[in-house]
Amino acid sequence: MAMSSADSSEPLPGVPNVNRADLDEMVENERVDPHEELADVDADTDLGIEMAEDAQRVARGELTGDDFWNKHDTAAEAEFGEEYRATPNPAVDSGDQTISTPTAESLSCSVGSMDSVASESALQRDESGIGVGNEKWGMVIDLQKCVGCDSCTVACKAENRTPPGVSYNVVMEEEHGEFPNVTRTNVPRPCMQCENPPCVQVCPVSATYSMDDGVVNIDYDRCIGCRYCIIACPYGARYFDFGDNYDDEVDEAGEVTSPEYGVDRGKRTEGDSPIGNVRKCSFCTHRLERGEEPACVETCIGDARNMGDLNDPESDVSQMAESTRAMQLKEAEGTDPNVYYLK
Amino acid sequence: MATKHTAFEFSPGFEDGRLRVAWYAFVGLLVAGGAYAAYLRLTQGMASTNLTSIVPWGAWVAFYIYFVGLSAGAFLVSTLANVFDVGKMHRIDRDALFAAIISMAVALLFVWIDLGRMDRMYYPFIWRQFTSALSWEVHAYVAYIGILVTELYFSMRIDLAQLATELEGPRAKLYELLTLGRTDTSDASRAFDTRWLKRAGMVGIPLAIFTVHGGTGVLFAVSKARPYWNSGLFPVIFIISALLSGTALVMMLYVLRTRLFDGERVDADLLEQLAQLLIAFIVIDVALTAVEGLIAFSSLHPHEVETWLIVLFGEMSWSFWWFMVGCSWVFPMVLLSKRSWRRSPPIMTFAGLLVVIGVVAVRFNIVIPAQILPVMEGLPHGSYFPTLVEWATSFGIIGVGLLLFTIGAELLPLTPLTGGDHE
Repeated sequence: MAMSSADSSEPLPGVPNVNRADLDEMVENERVDPHEELADVDADTDLGIEMAEDAQRVARGELTGDDFWNKHDTAAEAEFGEEYRATPNPAVDSGDQTISTPTAESLSCSVGSMDSVASESALQRDESGIGVGNEKWGMVIDLQKCVGCDSCTVACKAENRTPPGVSYNVVMEEEHGEFPNVTRTNVPRPCMQCENPPCVQVCPVSATYSMDDGVVNIDYDRCIGCRYCIIACPYGARYFDFGDNYDDEVDEAGEVTSPEYGVDRGKRTEGDSPIGNVRKCSFCTHRLERGEEPACVETCIGDARNMGDLNDPESDVSQMAESTRAMQLKEAEGTDPNVYYLK
Repeated sequence: MATKHTAFEFSPGFEDGRLRVAWYAFVGLLVAGGAYAAYLRLTQGMASTNLTSIVPWGAWVAFYIYFVGLSAGAFLVSTLANVFDVGKMHRIDRDALFAAIISMAVALLFVWIDLGRMDRMYYPFIWRQFTSALSWEVHAYVAYIGILVTELYFSMRIDLAQLATELEGPRAKLYELLTLGRTDTSDASRAFDTRWLKRAGMVGIPLAIFTVHGGTGVLFAVSKARPYWNSGLFPVIFIISALLSGTALVMMLYVLRTRLFDGERVDADLLEQLAQLLIAFIVIDVALTAVEGLIAFSSLHPHEVETWLIVLFGEMSWSFWWFMVGCSWVFPMVLLSKRSWRRSPPIMTFAGLLVVIGVVAVRFNIVIPAQILPVMEGLPHGSYFPTLVEWATSFGIIGVGLLLFTIGAELLPLTPLTGGDHE
């Protein structure tokens, strides 16, 4: 069979002229020596090589799956002991197993097929994983690592598609000292997701409230736009959506909106929420729910931002929040933010 | 009295027809301009304002608290008659109550136009927040308006009943309707009205002081993010400046309505009583404001000190010196300083007008300066001056209030038929 036309015709401009022999040689050069490779493994090297060669035969159709297992099952069990039976066998699968049913039964893997093992382990991950509500989300920002590049602010705008005048995250830059002895501190400021949020306290319609996962939510369908929460927030983290957009800068800027707080509102439409509402950082709840870090954390070039579960004392954020370097902004306000800073 | 057997005459409206036309033309202009501006506000949304996320509260909020204060002040003046039975004050009881009702309507229009989602204005009655001063306020306003209307009814009903029997035509029908069927004009019914008027007033006094206007002060004072507001004295000053503006308004209304509507002589004794009340409120207002300022400065709290410096010497300090200090304190105090001036209707009208305008600046100087300094170092400073749309809607809403008051004054017996001599 013809591997490619490159063997017989002129090479195309910009395309390297390699023929099949060259490719085979490259593969052969890269191939590891099986004896060398298996020498480091506890299991029997000869058995390993024999089984691998027979597996290649099965793949080429020179040997059936049943014959393969009839030949090797006893030896493999002798070699691997109890663990052999406790491991799912890729050949035994309820769907389209590569061996006949009697052979599969004779192999009798105690833990079931790969399929069932995979789905069980996925379930296990769900129970302890993201989006089930056992977490209390917290953010730790290492001020020593922050270089003040504002990538977080940009990533946040891109992720949450916030309109002009709304910026869930900003980097506050403070310069200290006099030239030439100056230092600069960059303090990124998302919403602090306070444990005792003054914004929640003042909202006349309970449109903003604390969720179990520590995030302060805004119900855009209930917010009346009185802006009392903006007044009450000691961190200036809340913004009013005046209805502006980036249509002059980007074509169809409002075609897609971010599914903030897990609600997809379709395209940005004049007169529809969240226009006329108050908006703020949600810790990218929609990303957390699908197992992703907030956009600002993911993008941070200095790895200054960390997101995790403050309920888990073993988590990185818990341990950082406990460190002597840890502090919260305006601690005296009694708001107890879930955003910590490392001095 | 003579009214019993002379042909019954009742014409509460303007004495001078040309003045009526001029006045309605003026008010109509305000309302028309406001209507166009409101159209722009509705179509362009909040982008039609100069508000930002740094200064989210502006002229509309300032006017809102101004009119709540004006209402509370006017109401408390009315209780001098209907609760404390200060003889001559009965003459201005209904003026004060009616002005208080109109002021609340105006205040609520300002709250409404200020909402980012005007279509959701009824939500606070569906969802509540126990810890929110604003949530409580909305309910207090409704209760308070209920009290005001109840009081005006009990204050005016006997005259409405009398007019309904003595007059004919649609006016008589209207008055009969407004008596809610209680057309009895006997002394027993008068006593009943007086009793219930007093009861409503007694409920109204704490409601007006502590929840309606004190509560509006609390709404600001609880914001610990804004140290300029975050003081216990703040709601008290709120109430005092409300009394100041309310008294001035009632004094002005008394003179203007007596002269222009009733065509009668102004009672110089009553005028002097109101003037003395005004002096007292100015003194208390100055003193408490000074105390508040002293506490702020001696706290050395940078945010508070800097905000006060902005008020005193900042870009908009003219509003503090000329309007707050000048119009609401110094100029009226000068006019109130001589007994003969205190008994002079034109001078007292002018003094009242000065205070009524000056207290607007008091409200602006409450709302705006606290939002100029950023809540955290490193965040941008705010700056704010209302747009034309904000000014025009504000004057339009005030125009609506003037219109409603004028129509009411032209129709209703705001001056007691007995002349106000209480018996």
